[in-house]
Order: sequence, then C-alpha cells, then structure tokens
Amino acid sequence: MSYKHISFEVVESVAHIGFGYQSDKKMTVLDEPTLKELDQIVEELENQQSSLKGAIFFSHIDGCFLAGADIKLISSLQTEGEAIEGAETGQKIFNRIEDLKVPTVACVNGVCLGGGLELALSCRSIICSDSKKTQLGLPEVKLGLLPGFGGTYRLPRRIGLPNSLDMILTGKTLIPRKAKKLGLVEEVYPKERLSVKAPEHFSSNRKKESLKESFEHLATDNFISRKIIFQKARESVLKKTKGFYQAPLKILDTMESGASRGRTSYLSLEAQSFGELCVSEQSQNLRHLFFLMEGAKKYQGPKSSGKLPDLKRGITLGAGTMGGGIAWLMADNNMMPIMKDLGVEGLELGLKQASSNFMGKVKRKRLSAEDFERKMRSISTTTGFHGFSRGDLVIEAIIEDMEIKKKAFVEVEKKVPEHCLLTSNTSSLSVEEMASVLERPQNFAGLHFFNPVHLMPLVEIITHSKISPETIEALYNWCLKVKKTPVIVGDGPGFLVNRILMPYLNEAGFLLSEGVSMKDIDDACLNFGMPMGPCRLLDEVGIDVAVKVAKILHDGLGDRAAASPISQKLVDAGLYGKKNSRGFYLYDEKGKEAGANEEAQKVLREVASDEKRMSETEIQMRLFLPMINEAAYILEDKIVERASDVDLGLIFGIGFPPFRGGLLRYADSEGVDKILGAIEKFKDEVSADRYCPAPLLKKLVSEKKKFYDCV
Amino acid sequence: MVDSAKPVYIVAANRSPHAKSGTVLKDVAAPYLGAYLVRNLIDGTNIPDDQVDEVIFGNVGCPAKYPNIGRVIALEAGLDKKTSGYSVHRNCASGMEALSQAFLKIASGRSDIIVAGGVENMSQMPLIYSKEMTDLFVNMMKAKTFSQKVKAVSSFRPPFLTPTVAIEQGLTDPFCGLNMGQTAELLAREFEISRQEQDEFANQSHQRASMATKEGHFKDEIVPMPVGKGLTKLLSEDVGPREDSTVEGLGKMRPYFERKSGSVTVGNSCPITDGGSAILFCSEEAVKKYNLTPLARVVDYHFHGLEPERMGMGPLLAMDGVMKRTEMTLDQMDLIEINEAFAAQVLSVLKAFENFELAKKFGLDRDWGAVDRNKLNVNGGAIALGHPVGSTGSRLVVTLAHELNRRKARYGMASLCIGGGQGGACIIENLA
Repeated sequence: MSYKHISFEVVESVAHIGFGYQSDKKMTVLDEPTLKELDQIVEELENQQSSLKGAIFFSHIDGCFLAGADIKLISSLQTEGEAIEGAETGQKIFNRIEDLKVPTVACVNGVCLGGGLELALSCRSIICSDSKKTQLGLPEVKLGLLPGFGGTYRLPRRIGLPNSLDMILTGKTLIPRKAKKLGLVEEVYPKERLSVKAPEHFSSNRKKESLKESFEHLATDNFISRKIIFQKARESVLKKTKGFYQAPLKILDTMESGASRGRTSYLSLEAQSFGELCVSEQSQNLRHLFFLMEGAKKYQGPKSSGKLPDLKRGITLGAGTMGGGIAWLMADNNMMPIMKDLGVEGLELGLKQASSNFMGKVKRKRLSAEDFERKMRSISTTTGFHGFSRGDLVIEAIIEDMEIKKKAFVEVEKKVPEHCLLTSNTSSLSVEEMASVLERPQNFAGLHFFNPVHLMPLVEIITHSKISPETIEALYNWCLKVKKTPVIVGDGPGFLVNRILMPYLNEAGFLLSEGVSMKDIDDACLNFGMPMGPCRLLDEVGIDVAVKVAKILHDGLGDRAAASPISQKLVDAGLYGKKNSRGFYLYDEKGKEAGANEEAQKVLREVASDEKRMSETEIQMRLFLPMINEAAYILEDKIVERASDVDLGLIFGIGFPPFRGGLLRYADSEGVDKILGAIEKFKDEVSADRYCPAPLLKKLVSEKKKFYDCV
Repeated sequence: MVDSAKPVYIVAANRSPHAKSGTVLKDVAAPYLGAYLVRNLIDGTNIPDDQVDEVIFGNVGCPAKYPNIGRVIALEAGLDKKTSGYSVHRNCASGMEALSQAFLKIASGRSDIIVAGGVENMSQMPLIYSKEMTDLFVNMMKAKTFSQKVKAVSSFRPPFLTPTVAIEQGLTDPFCGLNMGQTAELLAREFEISRQEQDEFANQSHQRASMATKEGHFKDEIVPMPVGKGLTKLLSEDVGPREDSTVEGLGKMRPYFERKSGSVTVGNSCPITDGGSAILFCSEEAVKKYNLTPLARVVDYHFHGLEPERMGMGPLLAMDGVMKRTEMTLDQMDLIEINEAFAAQVLSVLKAFENFELAKKFGLDRDWGAVDRNKLNVNGGAIALGHPVGSTGSRLVVTLAHELNRRKARYGMASLCIGGGQGGACIIENLA
C-alpha cells in the first residue's frame, strides 16, 4: 500500500515511517490526512509485528520532525464534543503505537513540538540530532490548550513530574543536550547518523537510574510530595499569569487529579480537558493571535518589481538608549554595526545599552562569554563617518527635532552608497517631511522601535508618498530576520501605536483630575490584563516626553486628542518619571518601583480635592473605549490596512493582553454596537470631543459588521 | 629590491591604544587587539570583504588558544572566510616581519591587497608547569592500574610546582643566557653610557609622548577600543606616558638587571605592554581599482643578525643594510624611529653612528654620519608608549607614516633591535 503524506517501507525487517513525505513545505504537521494515513500504517505494523525487528519514525524534512497538530484542524473543532473526539482519535493511534510489540524509535531531527513530541513519547525510545534546529517541547499552553494526545500522561512518566510540569506549563522547548540530560531522549547523534544508529536502540534497555535519580524519583513519586509539587506549581503559575490564563490551571487540575489513574481513565480526562479549553474564548483568541503572527511572517505590502537591497551592514545614528539598543540588535544579527554619535560619552552610553542587553543573555546562559566579547566587539564606534560607505541600512535615533534630523539625513545620504536604506526611529515626527529633503526619498522610511528594543517585538515601518515598494519589502524582511514583528503603517501623528496609546494616557489624566485615585486607575488596567497601568506607563515613557508627544497629537488630530493639564503640572514640579526616579511612583537606583510618590499625590490633590470612587468596569470603559474609537479613525485614515495590524501593533507594541486577542478582536467580541452605545453615552456625560464616535464605527454598526469583516 | 618590483602602497595604518600590561587591556584576548583594527582599515575603503588576499600578523606570545592568530584575526574582523591568514614570529620585530612579507608579496605581483600588523597581550602570557610536573601528569594519564597511578603520584616533589614564567623565559636569550636587560647593561658598559644620559633620554621620551598625546598627534592612528567590564568604556589614548616624569624621579630608581653596579632601570627601559597595530598594503592595481589614496609607499626593508649578547645594536646594522640596499643616506630621512627597548641600547646605536670607529667594530664599512636627534622618535618611543613585542615592528611604521604625513615630509626610517641578536629596518616614503 502506498501513502501520500507518510512514507512506509520495510527494509530488512525494519519498518521505516517517514513524515513530511513528498512535501515541499518547511514544516510538517499532523493534519487530518496525515493522521488517517498514520492510522493505517499503525494497522500494518500491528499486522506485521511478528516479522518485524523494529520500527523507526523519522522525517523527510531536514529541520522538522513534526511541528505538532495542525492548528487549523484544531480551530475547525466547533463544539466541546468534537474537540474531545478529535483528541481521542489521536490518543487511540498513539496508544496503539505504544502497545506495539516491536521496539519503536523516534529519530528526531528538527522541531518536534506538541503532537509531534506526543507521538515520539509513544515510541519506546527517542533519539535526536545535535542540529541547532532540533528542539522538543509541548507548547500547547501558549495557545491556551493542553497537550491532548497523551502528552500530559506520558511526559511525566519519562522525565518525572517536576520537569514535565515545567515544560507543559510554560511551553518551553528543550535543546538536544538538555533533552538528553532530562532523559527525554536516549542519545544525541549528528543528523546524518540517526537512521544508522536507530536500530541499536531497539534492544537498549532504558539507561539504568543513577542513585541520585532513583532518590529523586522516590522523592517526587509519592502522594505527599506530589501534592506539594502541584501546590508550588500552582502558586508559580498564578504569580506569572496573574490568574488571567485558564490553560495552565486546567493542566494542573488534569495532571493532579489524574495522577493515580490508569492510562484509559487518565486519557479520557485529558481529552475532556482539551475539549473544554479548545472551545474557550481565551484559546480562540490565542489561536487568532497565532494566525496573526503567522500571517505577519509573509510580506503583504505593495508589490516590488526591482531587486531588494541586501541589508548586511548596519549603521546607527545616535547612541542613546534607543541607538544602543538598535546597535545591539544589529550586532546580535551579525551586521557588525557602526555606531555614530557626537562624542565619546554618547558612544559609551550606546555601548552600555548594548552590553547590558548582551549581559542579560549571558546571565540566562543564552550567550557564552566568548560570544559576548565577539558580538560586543563587532560594534564599531565613530564620531565621523568612517565606514559609512559600506552601510546597507542606517537607523537614526537622534534627538526628536525635525531640523536636526533633516540636517543629519542630508549629510548621511552623501556618505552612504546609493542602495543604502535610510530610516528614522522617530516616534512622533512626520516621515513625509523628513523624506522631502532627501535626494533618494524612495530609499527612506520610518522604522519605529519600541523601548526597550530587546524586549519589545514590534517595529512600525512608516511609509510616505515617495517610498519605493522595494524599500518597504526589504525592511519588512529585515525585521522578520531580526525576529521582530513588523507592521506597515502610513505617516500620521503618532503613527499606529502611539496614536492609540494617546487616549489611554490622556483619559487617565482626566480621570485623575476628576478625583479618581491613581491606584484605582492602574489596578483597573492591570485587572484587564495590561502589563502596566497608564500612570506607571507614563513614568516609563517619561512624563515630559509624553507631554511633548501629546502636543503633537493634539495639533495633528484636533480636540479629540486633547490632553489633561495634569502631566504638565507634574513636569513643572520636576517629576519626569522613571528617568529621574520620581514620577507618579518612586524608583530606586536600579529603576525598580518603590511605591507611590507623595509629591505627585500632592500635585494631584491640588487639581482634584475630592476623591471620586469609580467602578473598575467604568474606569476600564473610560480608558479602552476611546482607544477602540481611535483605532476606527486609524482604519478610516488608512494608517493601516487591516484590523489585524492594529491588534498586532498593540499586543507587540504595548503588551495589550494577548489572551484578549487584540483591541479590535476584543471590540468585536464585546459587540461593536455595544461599544458605540457606550461611547455615545460618554459623549453626553463626559466629553463631546474625546468621545466623538468615529464614522467607521457607526458604519459598522449600521451594516451589522465587525472590525474583522472590513478587510 | 630588483627593478622589476612593483610599488607597494600603504593605504591606511592604525593601532590600538597601548596600555601597560596588567591594566586596561589585560583582558583583551590578542586576536581582538588586531581584528577591530583590520575591520577599521577595510571600513575606510571600498574594498569588498572578500577581496583581501592575505592577513599576516606578528605575535610573540603565541597564546595556546590561537596557534595561528593571523587567520583568527581575519575571521574575527569579518573578512570573507576564504581570506588566507597566517602568523609570523621574529621576536620583537614580528610586526615588521609581517609587513616585510606583505611587501614581498605585493612587490612580486603575487598579491594585491594584504593587511599586516602585530598584536601582543603580554598580560596574558602564561605561567607554565615545569617539565617534571608535566611528565608527572603524562604518567598519570598513561597509568592504567592503581599501582601505576600511585607510582606516578609518588614521584611528586614540591619544587615541581614552581612555574616557569613564560614572559621571563621569553625575554632571556637561549643562546647566550643573558636576559634582554643584561644585554643593555653590557652595551651601557662597553659604550660608556651613563645612568644620567639614560634617564635623560627616558625622560625625553615621556615628555614627547605626553605632548604628542595632548596635541592629538596620535588621533589619526589610534582607533579607540571598548574596554572595561562589559566593554562599555572607550579607550582612546595610551596608558603609559607620564607628563610628570622628571630626570630626578627616574634617577631614584634602582637598577633592575644588575642590582649592584648596573645603570638600566625599569624607568629607562620600555614597559611590558599590551597593544596591536595594522597596516593595509595595496598594489598599484588595487589602488586604481578601488579608488584609494595611498598614505605612503614602502621603499624597502632589511633584517640583519649580530651577536645575541649585543642584540641592542641591531638597528645599526639593519639601517646600514636598508640604506645600502636602497642607495639612500641618513640625510635623506626626514624622520627616524628607533625602538626604545632600552635607553642604553638606543644611545649606543646613536653613538656608533656618531663614531665610525665604533661602527666599524660591528662590520660597517660606510660612515653614515650622526643621526639628527631632532628627527628621532619625535613623538616619544617605547619607554613611554610601551613595547607590545609582537606589534612594535609595525607600530613604528604606523606612527612614522602618520607623522611624515602630518609634517608633509618625505622619507622616514623605522628600525628596531630584536631579541636573539638581530635588527630590522624599513624605509617608507610619504605620498599624501
């Protein structure tokens, strides 16, 4: 019998089962046809097992064993019942693999995730390649799911409970060395040797437990210690997720209550839990986000016809926190950046930022001391233009002053080769205007990073009227290469993210001046799932910077974007935020928050003498409705093309809670009509300017459409 | 050089700041002292990363981790992986040996673009286990049975643990058994160089180097280097020259190599130093192809041997040799660099040029006349700036090329003595 998706052949009494057969994709997944074929192959194995010496599972694709179950397939499961059935289908096949009388070996070369690892776990042995691409893990939790093909059952039995919980609850993946250390794989070989070595594992008894391991085993595998382990894990989950995420808790429940059950009984529990999570809104949102991210991996901007410039060598102008962060990014991606600043002090600031980013990796053992030295030393510094003739990509991060920036670009344009792309990391100035002074405006764009560069994934690629499609596409691909999430954005005040952030920060100011306490405001946002409340965020941004940007937005967008006078008052009182350790909150020398700042409270009391109690929901509505409204204006102004761009931007730019799937996804799920109603209510009660509903919003309601229906 | 030789251009030349060993550069592994210089040289041109024919570096310490430091430097500098790279060793003149190789290869038409230089991290020269201790380790590893192991271990004697100081051994001549300081003492005695003369010469080196630093004479040649914990500080100047140096202060120091009757002190010798230097050499074709502006042209070079115990006189013979080879004279030289290994040694060389009778003893058959001291080491020398052994040979040429250029002068000669009894010299012509 021949198959389309899985190869099956028996050579010298050894069955070879190869995934990714006749596939030209980089990744192969367990989709419906593959599962069907696997089912048939398992049946063949069962029939032939008396004549077989063993069976080897491998992949034809270099770099991918199996990337997991097909997420589209998961998303097609509409009801809990369907989802349970789906999980059980997989479980049954994997059980039968586990029950085969012939020895089975999974040869893992490349990613082996989710359902892929669950399949490997149902084999008697797993061996893997030492390739850099090889990683093993159960990342279902990141999609709000739990491994539903027996992963939560089999992993603890292979590597013990504490390590399994760590893997399943965080979704983290293991590199080969670590996988061997934990006992997940029996041996690590060069990829070319896997198939030759696999038969040697047919007869291998599992490695005997060392004394230490058997003690560990004894210590973790009893009723009392299990209870403690689960309790600790639960505490840590709650601390990390602040209780927002259901999946890890469900995983804990399942694994704990199933701990003493047999396989059949455990697996039905697992399937049940999978079913519940699968149809939960949270998992749907997280999967929605997954698809958004996958979609963002493909360039969808204007089509380019010419050759794309090869962005090999990087240059940063201005070596402050941003410049240093960008130099770090370039150095980390082998672009041997040249960092330019006016003087040695500036350059040293940049080196400090780059160094601290690399040091973080060294401390987390993601970078060796040697590579630290190599990457740091790949950064050249100059106060002149040395090396500019070799530049392919210039990113400017100097002071936010239009005239100074223009002058710098005019000068730099003469020093770099013709193909070199010039970009500005401006957060608020007009890219169109900057482009106007250049000889080659087609090679120019805004490239807006978020602070801190090494933590914030979003990059706004800001276009203007004279930009070439080649420039946009080259920058887009470059962002992906350096593992950032790009969003193509039109020029306009605040571009995408800062423009939507504006009402969040402004409205907080108005709430404060109405007498709502800082704590209530920030708590309401934290409880919504935001990484920090608006007051805390203002401290982070710098209150003085926020005042400046607010003015630009007010000028550009009209009274809808009016700011409350509170920020200015705080700046007048010398409270700038984290940068001088005094803002809404106080900060210690390490920049850690150290409680509310009494000085700021005093300023606030002068503005609003009476404290006003407001419900958490109302505070949330006051802050998030104008954001949604502004997003509607942004879509209407064609700043971005799609609702998904807004959602990607906010999740990766300011940490809008991922489990909500994004701002507009949230709006859609709440109901656009409800949102409009609430905005109109505030229009009457609070401010006609700030809560003036966007025409697009009204149009959606009248046409009974959602944001995600438009495009 | 034969007439058919092609011209060899110095397109760019740079160096790291120098720092006394054990200070700011102590943790910089030797390849990194060179790689960023190579990067900087190439960055100043339009030469593609895959068009450099060869990278040649001089290095004396030969760190165990980098047996072929030249190749490591080529790779760390980001040059294409196909770039050939090797290392050369001619003791204190390793850097000059590197550039002589570059010169020959380009002059012969075999290569077009070569980066040559030298690097030395003397802070990182190791302590080495004694031969006895090494044997013990080897026997331990060979031992299979317990009794063999016991036997191997029982051969241990506490003195085995006394390490060999690599740097100390390296600075002692294996042939005549004198260390370098002792060879300087020998010259001081034979040439009757007084302690006062030596200290005055040393003091002048500090004064000139301090002044040159202050007035920015080194700005064009020094490439600032990230140093310190986390590599967050930029070192842009040499750590070594002392503006507050005085002859009196130097006079208070005790002789180091011959404690009872000597005159060579730590103060009138060069300090142990970390640093690197690099030069980009190009053929006429490469200059045209990449639209380069040469800084200088290498006229020729010469190496010469003599008695190891008088190695300090090496420059006398090397300079004599290169001038003969090029049919040039001392008068034609606008600037002269003689490496200041020891004040006594440089003063002896000068004395021999001034007194032909003395020079004759070393086999010279031509009286070149005296070296004009106003042309000599105008920006100070190794006594103030330090002597990173593997680098100095090229560092002298780097400094010479830039100073000729600054003065709009024409010819310059760089020379140095070489441990083991040799001298090296090189003449360049300023073009810019």
